[in-house]
Amino acid sequence: MVSDKFVPMRIVAMKDRERVVSELQERFGIKDVPGTMVMRGRERLYFYSGNFESWKLKKLEENVIIERVGVYFAKMVDDKIKLSIEGVSLLRNQITKNIFEMDDKSMDDWIRGRDLNIRTGLNGFLVMKNGNDFFGIGKASENKIGNFIPKSRRVRDRG
Amino acid sequence: MTRLDSANLKPLFIERMKELLGDDFDNYIEAIEREPPRSIRCNTLKISPSDLKKRLEAKGWKLSQKFKKNPEIMIIENELEPGELGRSVEHVLGYYYVQEIASMLPVIALNPKPDELVLDLCAAPGSKTTQIASLMKNTGTIIANEVSLGRIKILASNTERCGVTNVVITKQDGAALCRKLKKLDYGFDKILIDAPCSGEGTLRSTPKTAIMWNINTVRKLSGVQKDLFSNAFSILKKGGEIVYSTCTHSPEENEGVVNSILEEFKGQIKIERINIPIKSREGISKWKEREYLEDVKYSCRIYPQDDETEGFFIAKFRKVGD
Repeated sequence: MVSDKFVPMRIVAMKDRERVVSELQERFGIKDVPGTMVMRGRERLYFYSGNFESWKLKKLEENVIIERVGVYFAKMVDDKIKLSIEGVSLLRNQITKNIFEMDDKSMDDWIRGRDLNIRTGLNGFLVMKNGNDFFGIGKASENKIGNFIPKSRRVRDRG
Repeated sequence: MTRLDSANLKPLFIERMKELLGDDFDNYIEAIEREPPRSIRCNTLKISPSDLKKRLEAKGWKLSQKFKKNPEIMIIENELEPGELGRSVEHVLGYYYVQEIASMLPVIALNPKPDELVLDLCAAPGSKTTQIASLMKNTGTIIANEVSLGRIKILASNTERCGVTNVVITKQDGAALCRKLKKLDYGFDKILIDAPCSGEGTLRSTPKTAIMWNINTVRKLSGVQKDLFSNAFSILKKGGEIVYSTCTHSPEENEGVVNSILEEFKGQIKIERINIPIKSREGISKWKEREYLEDVKYSCRIYPQDDETEGFFIAKFRKVGD
C-alpha cells in the first residue's frame, strides 16, 4: 500500500521536544510549544493542535497514507531551528527577541522574496515583522538579511 | 474573467434545465451570463472580520457584509485589478480565502463545533476544510481526504496558509478510506461529502464546463456519489450529521442520490431542514419517470438567479439508528 518513497512520521519524544523548545527560547524567547510535534524525515517539524493521541495518529498511519499532520512549523538546519512563516505566526505572542521590524518599503520587498540589503549588526535567524504582521524568518549576515519565503507564499508582481 | 456564452450550452443541457426551471429558465440564462460577484471569507483563525475589513478598506477596497450572522463573508463591491484578490499581503498571510458564497454554505449547514471529530471526505482545494477549522477554532480533529496527488498539494498549501493545525490530511479513494476507518472503529460527529460532480453550477466562473458537460458523466458520477455516501454513513456515529453537497443542478447527482440513501438506510437516517443565509428552493419531487420520497424536499437547491451566486445543492442528514 505504501510506496518506497514514503517517509513515516515520528511523534517527537519529550527529550527532543525539550531540545527544540530550549533552542527556540535561547534565540527568540519562546518558552513553550503547545500541542503535538510531529517529524517527517530528518528535518521537517509539524505542529498539530488536534485531539488525537500519538498512538491514534500512528495507528491511522499504519492503515492510511497520511500526507500531512497539522502545519509545517520548523526545520532543523545544522542543529538550529528555522521557524516557518506559520511557525512564527503560531508562536508570535511569545517571541521577545531577535525581531527585525521592517518599514513598509522593506516589507514590500521581503514579501516578494527579495533579500534586504541592510546592515543590522546582528547574525543568525531573525523574526521578520511589520506592525502586527509576521513574515517568517530571515538570516542576518554582515550586509544583508537573507530571505526564505517560499515561492508559494510570495506576492507576485503582475506579468 | 471570461464570461459564459450561452450559445456554447449543449442542447440536452438546455432541455434539462428548461424542464427543471420552467418559466424561470430565461432568468437563469441571464444570470449565468453575468459576471459573478467576488467574495472572500475572513479566516477567523488569524484575524477578526472587523480588523480585516478595516485593512482592506484602507487599500481602497469596498466591502459589504450581507449576512449579519456571518460577518466573515465579504463581497467586494468595487473593481479590482486582475489577480489582485490573490496578490494582496493579506491573502499571502492567510487572513482570507477567496471563496464563492454558495461554496461556503455546506459548512454553514454542517455547523462543526470545537472538539468534534470531522471528516471532510473530498477536501481539495481546501476552502471548506479551512472554513471547518475556523469554526472548530483549531480544536478537535479534521480528517481531510483527497485522492488526487496534484490536488492534495493544493489542499496542504491552503491549510498551511490559513494556519490550520487540527488537520490530518489523508490520500485515499474516499469510499476506501471510509471502509478502512470503519475497521479502525472510527465514529465521526460530522461528515462533509462535497462530492465530485458535473459542475453545472459553476458555469459563471468556469464557462468551459459548458463544453465539457455530457450526460454520461452525470450518470457515472451519480454512482460514485451514492457509493461515497453509503460508505461515509457507516462511520458516522449515532446522532452524528452528514452534509452532502454538489455544485451541480442535475437531479441524478442530487435528489436521486438523496432518495437512494433514504431508501438504503431507512430507519437509520433522517433528513434535516437546513438554515442557510441565502434564498434556496426545495428539492424536486420527481424527475423524468422517477418519483422521489417526500422528505427529499428538505434538500436545498441554489440557483444563480436567486441570489447572484453559483449553483449548488445541499442536503443534511442525521443518523438516528444503527
